[in-house]
Amino acid sequence: MFALIKREIQDHIVYFIGAAVFSAVFIIMSISLIHQYDPKVPPVFSIGLGIPAVTIVIFGICAMGATQMYLDKTRKISALLSTLAVSRSRILLARIITGILAILILLVPQTIASGILLRIFTPPIPMFPGMVFEISLVVFLMAFACYCIGLQAGWNSNPLTPSLGALFLTCIFIPLILIKGFGVHIVVILVLFIAASLIRTWRTFMTTSL
Amino acid sequence: MDENVIKVENLVKYFEGRCVLDGINLNVPRGCIYGLLGRNGSGKTTIIRILLGLEPPTRGRTFLLDAESTELSARLHSRIGYVAEGHNLIQSYRVGRLIKLCKDLSLQWNDEFFNHLMETFRLPTDRRVKELSIGMRAQLNLALAMAIDPELLIFDDPTLGLDTVARRQFLELAIDLIQQQGRTILFCSHILSDVERIADRIGILAAGKLVVDCPLEELKERIKKLRIIFPESAPPNLYLTEIINQQIQGREMVITVANWNKQKQTILETFKPSSCTEIPMSLEDMFIECTKPNPKYIES
Repeated sequence: MFALIKREIQDHIVYFIGAAVFSAVFIIMSISLIHQYDPKVPPVFSIGLGIPAVTIVIFGICAMGATQMYLDKTRKISALLSTLAVSRSRILLARIITGILAILILLVPQTIASGILLRIFTPPIPMFPGMVFEISLVVFLMAFACYCIGLQAGWNSNPLTPSLGALFLTCIFIPLILIKGFGVHIVVILVLFIAASLIRTWRTFMTTSL
Repeated sequence: MDENVIKVENLVKYFEGRCVLDGINLNVPRGCIYGLLGRNGSGKTTIIRILLGLEPPTRGRTFLLDAESTELSARLHSRIGYVAEGHNLIQSYRVGRLIKLCKDLSLQWNDEFFNHLMETFRLPTDRRVKELSIGMRAQLNLALAMAIDPELLIFDDPTLGLDTVARRQFLELAIDLIQQQGRTILFCSHILSDVERIADRIGILAAGKLVVDCPLEELKERIKKLRIIFPESAPPNLYLTEIINQQIQGREMVITVANWNKQKQTILETFKPSSCTEIPMSLEDMFIECTKPNPKYIES
């Protein structure tokens, strides 16, 4: 399993570097913003920074899943690997673990930095215990859901269905977050979506021609 | 434990409504070198891909080393060496990296033997796989397949695209390796001389069916090509069954007959031919006869 994960990381190292760089840039920007924080000025710049950042994350992670599957399909990597002492389920599991690692590289430093910054500086909004963890969990699940959509899109010859799925998911989650905020309800929906998505990917990958 | 290392039971495969394999039954006993022949698109690669679990069958079951192909475990895969058609290697990898990956993912790896093969083939480890010639890729694929000391070797047209010298070199090495180890081998090719050199049992696929499945010697015994000269013009019909091919020119008749026996000989003698001589047939001649549109006479 370690050899498979190592191979995935080496083949998609650009996403890991991208995640680390993005995380570092985001932390630096956050420090800079908090340093110059003025409650009288509306947070236009923060929102202006946040929207493209989220877009990059969503597309980046989705692209990683899609690239992993697409390159596998076109380069017939699994066709070779599955003739060695490796089962298909292990290949896919290693791929998913790699995806999770990339998401963690992206989010864990930001979560830690946010926790520290919120302790040092006065938060601009009222906080409740475990808020950083809750937000981070939802963001992680959203990123993982995007990754799962990418996995499906990369393997399907017609990526329209997964793309429509992503659009549908976005249409549901953004109003949910705006209206009800981060919470258990959104975690449940995301977990259900991820489970369904992974089962579908698993079934397709296990039964398809390599 | 079953003596058949490879078992195919009533295998049917459709591709987009087109029947590629139509009820194939095949058994390869332990220690046998089985040559699977067929024209391009006859389904040789499909059978191999189904056997290895790379392709799902439409109907029927296939077994490798006593396990159903759809449920081959990693441990069983480690006992099977596979040289794919077109040498299915990860093209973007450097040779060294590919070797390391295969080694890391194998349960057993004979370093000494592998290094010996790499030295024999003089393969560069610092070049990318896509930069290697087809011959070098074939050699790399063979070395990787042999390094795991496989019990069963599956060669799917390994010499495809090689020039004559490279093909001969590849085959000689393969024969050496096969003879040293005494393994079960499924050798798939449409280069008949290659198969004739190493196979001891032959299967011929035509029109989705396995029209021949017997030892090579038996096949040579069963199909006869005869040149018959009659005192006057040759009769239009000899009333022989299982005639695969028949050509008449004046007094001369050339026929290819399956399952030649005493009874057929007696029938022929009633026509009082002046002479009857057997034309020696190579495997290639037999293959051409067997893959003609009327191959049912040679079924086992």
